[in-house]
Amino acid sequence: MMRAKGLFKTFNPGTPIENPALRGASLDIPQGQFVTVIGSNGAGKSTFLNAISGDLIVDQGSIEIAGRDVTRLSAWQRAGLVARVFQDPMAGTCEGLTIEENLAIAWQRGNKRGLKGSLNASLRSQFRDKLATLNLGLENRLTDHMGLLSGGQRQAVSLLMASLKPSQILLLDEHTAALDPKTAAFVLELTDQIVRENQLTAMMVTHSMRQALDHGDRTVMLHQGRVVLDVAGEERAKMDVPDLLAMFERTRGEALADDALLLG
Amino acid sequence: MSLIALLGATEIGLIFALVALGVLISFRILNFPDLTADGSFPLGGAVAATLIAGGHDPWMATLAGTAAGALAGLTTAWLNVRLNILQLLASILVMIALYSINLRIMGAPNMPLIGATTVFSPFIALSPDSQYVIQPMVLAVIVVIAKLALDAFFASQSGLAMRATGANPRMARSQGIATDRMVLIGMAISNALIALAGALYVQTQGGADISMGIGTIVVGLAAVIIGETLIPGRTIMIATLAAVLGALVYRLFIALALNADFIGLQAQDLNLITALLVGFALVLPSLKRKLAAKRSAASKGSTAHDAR
Ligand SMILES: Nc1ncnc2c1ncn2[C@@H]1O[C@H](COP(=O)(O)OP(=O)(O)O)[C@@H](O)[C@H]1O
Ligand SMILES: [Mg+2]
Repeated sequence: MMRAKGLFKTFNPGTPIENPALRGASLDIPQGQFVTVIGSNGAGKSTFLNAISGDLIVDQGSIEIAGRDVTRLSAWQRAGLVARVFQDPMAGTCEGLTIEENLAIAWQRGNKRGLKGSLNASLRSQFRDKLATLNLGLENRLTDHMGLLSGGQRQAVSLLMASLKPSQILLLDEHTAALDPKTAAFVLELTDQIVRENQLTAMMVTHSMRQALDHGDRTVMLHQGRVVLDVAGEERAKMDVPDLLAMFERTRGEALADDALLLG
Repeated sequence: MSLIALLGATEIGLIFALVALGVLISFRILNFPDLTADGSFPLGGAVAATLIAGGHDPWMATLAGTAAGALAGLTTAWLNVRLNILQLLASILVMIALYSINLRIMGAPNMPLIGATTVFSPFIALSPDSQYVIQPMVLAVIVVIAKLALDAFFASQSGLAMRATGANPRMARSQGIATDRMVLIGMAISNALIALAGALYVQTQGGADISMGIGTIVVGLAAVIIGETLIPGRTIMIATLAAVLGALVYRLFIALALNADFIGLQAQDLNLITALLVGFALVLPSLKRKLAAKRSAASKGSTAHDAR
């Protein structure tokens, strides 16, 4: 469960490049719901996710995760509740560390880390089993450096890392955007599978309205730092991309700026 | 080169192996360009020498010098993570401040330790004629212990967290790692090792001198870079081994260069040679890349392109 109430965030306040990225964004996600998030470039999607993860602290508003007020907590303090996969395949893993070391780091997400060895035989065998489910042959490459993996492989491992430990919310920020279409489809399918199997509460930002409607249980649209559209259930099931666009135009009383990506 | 000169070079090489291990932690693992070394090395020396000269137990004095180094590293890290001062600048501030502090500690620009009881004394007493062999042996044991301890630490959960902090701080935070704390701890360990080297150095050299820290960081870096070139590899065990070997090879190389009379080098040329060596080692990787690129371009011809 995640509850964001009236979030405000302005970048570079009081300067000529002042930028109000969040202007009262609110969203309530019940336990186990998979929400897809759309919105044009600069709508504030990443900022919204960064605010939830604690990568940035909001100017105003409150964030509650699993009943806990986390508004003032920094990212590392929220990590026990929040799992993430970044857009940039390089961002979610350490390329200088091995696959098993990356997994070992994720294995302790949100836990206190001590002087115990980070890896052992039983952990390795668990990692091997988990990696085997990806069908990428990575189970035989535990000691390979992460930097040797392709973008798609890295995102797949990132997803695995995000699901190693239970989380109250999984945040995915255009995590397939940097991949070629075929790899993107694979990672997206893997996402569906992991969210379903672990019954995760999740938020997935995507640049494609098609994807947003095809995945998850609910779709919200961000515009100028606010949630302007929120569809779920039967209404959403019947929807197509033009319906979504029309709905946006109705609610906003304006046409959405041309954005080729958005229609993809 | 005489056996005694060789052992002397080994001795200093082993001391700088500790510096190299410290530099490995700051520059390589934490990704923190840290020049504190030029202050923390003499700090360790000043504290140890002053305590030893005051009649204190040499091991206790060495430990105190090491702890002082940890404090210096902590200060540099704190200036960076809490006050947001640029890493390099923070370390220069601490380095400069330590110059005054070291003078205060010693009360004079130098502090002789002739005839004082050092950590080596009990071992030398066993066989008074073989000081030249025994000091390097004791140092070798200390270096091996330090290397193995670091290997164990960096394989632990906390050590892995520290490596993630240097490699990808945003990812580390998203995994629940308190990166600021990791930088503070890592920099403390790094400079503790460097100060330990300083504390041992004054005990092998018969005293401390205020200018003994000049160039410490460059020598440490040289050792790390030489080590990486000699035994490349990305595991921690290899990296620590490489740093130790790099320091030994560097000092032996310097001793050889100084011993070869026909080159006409003198001790005061040391820093120049070191700077040239480090400069060369720093451009070597990009030179290699350029060469490799040229070669592959030549072999593939003009139609091929890098499809990756
Ligand atoms: N760290 C930052 N500093 C200044 N401005 C930022 C920063 N991050 C985002 N912005 C600005 O905030 C607005 C929202 O950005 P973002 O949340 O990344 O949008 P989206 O992910 O929806 O494309 C944009 O105008 C962007 O330029
Ligand atoms: Mg974005």
